[in-house]
Amino acid sequence: MSERAGFRSAFRRWRADRPFWGGLLLALGGAEVLLTMKASMKVMLHAGMQGLAGYLLPTLMVLLGVLILFNPAQRLFYSITGVLVTLGTWLTSNLGGFFVGLLLGVVGSSLAFGWLPDQAPRERRRRRRKEAAAAVVAAQQAGEPA
Amino acid sequence: MASSSDVTSSADNFPENPESGSGSEASGTTDGPARRGRVRARRAAVMAVPATLVAGALAVLTAEGALGVQFAISGMPFTVTATELNGTGFEQFGGLDEMAPGSPNAGDTGGQVLVVTSAIKSATLTKLCQSVDLGGTNLLITAGSGAEKVSASDLTTDSTELSGDAAFTNIEIGNDASTLTKAGVKGPIGVFSQQADTVRIANLRQTNYATTAGVFKLPGLKLRFSSTGC
Repeated sequence: MSERAGFRSAFRRWRADRPFWGGLLLALGGAEVLLTMKASMKVMLHAGMQGLAGYLLPTLMVLLGVLILFNPAQRLFYSITGVLVTLGTWLTSNLGGFFVGLLLGVVGSSLAFGWLPDQAPRERRRRRRKEAAAAVVAAQQAGEPA
Repeated sequence: MASSSDVTSSADNFPENPESGSGSEASGTTDGPARRGRVRARRAAVMAVPATLVAGALAVLTAEGALGVQFAISGMPFTVTATELNGTGFEQFGGLDEMAPGSPNAGDTGGQVLVVTSAIKSATLTKLCQSVDLGGTNLLITAGSGAEKVSASDLTTDSTELSGDAAFTNIEIGNDASTLTKAGVKGPIGVFSQQADTVRIANLRQTNYATTAGVFKLPGLKLRFSSTGC
């Protein structure tokens, strides 16, 4: 938390506080699927509800990706919904944007799901590891004189 | 996991170990005061593995033709070929497709393409091949080359070129496009159109600007990149 408040370091700190790549990849995946769609609205309206779902799912992907970035506390719900919606685009939206958007969305959701802030469990594990090492050292020290 | 949590709780019960305690604090500060979150591989795998399995299952089911998928493409020209198309409920009328403003595909067309809109209520296609030119390489989708045929319902295509050997039954030529009834799609008023009960087109070749299908079933689906189109 030094006072070097350059934009880059501020951005890096902001990024460290949230599953940045997860949210970004999910949003990009949604955008890619939308890009492959961009069917004229007139044609879409012929297709009715099914056509709307083709737009709805990738739009949700973009929204969930952005929400993961700006509300990381709810990342579990967003990422689980995100992966389901992403898989749904295979059916509704050009095979998930010809597979590319589907891949980005699944990877992004998984990264967001697997992300954890650096907190208690990690430090506990580190302490545990230190203690195990200390125990080994102690055992060696105890063993050497004998 | 159970064993590791046991170890963790036992580690918590050793507050009377001053050396290791100070050691951990020291290593904690070397990690930097700005604490970074990070992705735990095992936690991510909890979602990634089932998601990959589901995606694979979807692909397999689609390739077996058990699952229908929806297509909606437009803005860039793509080619569809099939050795045979059989459809019931056929309509065709002219129209104008507008591209998104500033589209790189506009060229000298002013962003408008004159198209023939074909709508088919339900269709089966043999040896479907669909290719999109991505500049240098083609994305190629083939399906229906085996015993099972591709089936599509509510298929609407905007084509600039359409060729093949066609046979119609009960064709009505010269209707107003706004009075069409066979495929459930209505065109603009005052435009020439035709409709038929059934259509059969051999050696179909279309250059399309937009297509939507309610549901596509693609048995034997293959998706690949290729240097040649269809």
